Amino acid sequence: MSRVTDISSVFRIQLMSMRAEAGPFFLAALVFPAGMYLFANAVGGVARTPEQSRLRFLAGSIVFSLSLTSISWLGYLLLENRFTGRLKLFATLPLAPSSYIFGFLGFAFLQAALGTTVLLLIGRAAGVGMRPNIPMLALVIMLTVLCLCGFGVVIAARARSFTEGSLLTDALGAGLVFLAPVYYLPETMPHGLRFVSRLLPTSFAASAVRTTLTGGYQVGTELLALGLMAIVTLALGFRLTKWRED
Amino acid sequence: MKQTRELATWLMVTEESLLASEQTRGATRALETPAPVAVRVRGLFKRYKDGTEANRDIDLDVRRGELISILGPNGAGKTTFLRQITTELRPSAGSIEIFGANAIAAPQTVKRMMGITPQEAGIFASLTVREHFELFARLKDLSKAKARAAATEVINSLDLVPEEGKRVGSLSGGQKRRILIGLALLGRPRLLVLDEPTTGLDPSSRQSVWGVIRRAVTDGATVILSTHYIEEAERLSDRIGIIAQGRLIALGTLDELFSRLERSYRVSYRDPLDPFGDLCVHYFASFKEAQAHIAQAELSGYSIARASLEDIYFALTGERLVEGEAEAKA
Repeated sequence: MSRVTDISSVFRIQLMSMRAEAGPFFLAALVFPAGMYLFANAVGGVARTPEQSRLRFLAGSIVFSLSLTSISWLGYLLLENRFTGRLKLFATLPLAPSSYIFGFLGFAFLQAALGTTVLLLIGRAAGVGMRPNIPMLALVIMLTVLCLCGFGVVIAARARSFTEGSLLTDALGAGLVFLAPVYYLPETMPHGLRFVSRLLPTSFAASAVRTTLTGGYQVGTELLALGLMAIVTLALGFRLTKWRED
Repeated sequence: MKQTRELATWLMVTEESLLASEQTRGATRALETPAPVAVRVRGLFKRYKDGTEANRDIDLDVRRGELISILGPNGAGKTTFLRQITTELRPSAGSIEIFGANAIAAPQTVKRMMGITPQEAGIFASLTVREHFELFARLKDLSKAKARAAATEVINSLDLVPEEGKRVGSLSGGQKRRILIGLALLGRPRLLVLDEPTTGLDPSSRQSVWGVIRRAVTDGATVILSTHYIEEAERLSDRIGIIAQGRLIALGTLDELFSRLERSYRVSYRDPLDPFGDLCVHYFASFKEAQAHIAQAELSGYSIARASLEDIYFALTGERLVEGEAEAKA
């Protein structure tokens, strides 16, 4: 019970402290992915491409939104707490580092839910043909967020400065999307990159989101991969986030 | 009584009042019957990765209900010492027990008994003062109702009532510092560890914080605080520890520390030929010796007083905590 209270208190502290920046924060989580969706449609000549492409662009934009939310902005918040001395305040409390991180994960889930919902509404308004399997989509999004948040936590724990950390989270947040076959087909990638890019979490996430947007269930491999990656990245993040220095 | 003693120490006084002051020191704040130990530190040694030895062979027992000040200049090792007690820093060697629990092996357990004010910590600019206290009280395992009550108590005691609904970003540095102290006080912890709690506060706020700390002690809390303010250590402490170059070089009540001085009368004056120069300070074993020196040197403007904690610090370390005085021993 105490652990639940701890996590919810950290979540509330973060949520309430974001009041002043809530508008820009949520807007930013939507503007880039929505813009990318429109951009991809325009560049891909959606009027001449099959329905499959439009679905790929929408799924890609959802993954892009999750990546920005989970790596770039979650990382930014963790870095801000660390380099402004707020982390020290949490460290004075009988609070487990993992509870602190889970409090932030709650915040990331909230953002992810909002971002995905709005992008689905945009897709619907743009006439993308889809029959989303909501429970499965929610599961995919949850595992994607957990996995990507792990990257943000690791960077926030290891960065030597706020600037270094911000650059890394931004680069990774966007890089994991554009280096993976999220918006485009893997066949269009340079041969050497093709295999590696398929192993990126964003590749599994995009594939799973596409499948669940069409009502499919066959995402076992993607869920397993995302789950394993989430365990590895978060375990590393928990290990690196310490209250005590040596 | 404390104020009387301070005034007697710092102002020009007569021999009679000095003697009276000396007698009042008999009624020390030392605890007559030693209370059980709240914090036990043994052989504490901290070497940083760069090889700096920040703490060396520190032994300390803090009794329950006692207020100990750790005094020393910047870089002496005070903060390193406190950070090991608060479990924020792992000692290189030695042991720390807090109310019988091993602070090195069970940091979460001991933190449940502690309220900590770090020397530097950030707070959330967008949260109001009350939100800070209520939310952080929840992280100290208080129920919602108790968290609300604890927040009200701390807000009242730190004179933050007019600010309780304001966002912290709009407050002054001193008010933010008081919030950090208030966060440590939430839930009335058994042990308070305060790292330079009043640094950056104006004199009025400092007085207010001193009152809060003393009240906490009256209510049964044990307090360890670090400071580089002589007055703070003198006014608040049951015992004072002096740290220099990482070692705890002295520990005792104010009287015990005074008893270390062979020359405990202090004459200070400015050279008439250099009125804007440094203050000259000389020490004497007796009031008569001091008077004789004044007569011999034909001083017209001078101050004669009992030695202060500053003088004890100087005698022990050869350095001044308060700058601007020429060190000259008679």
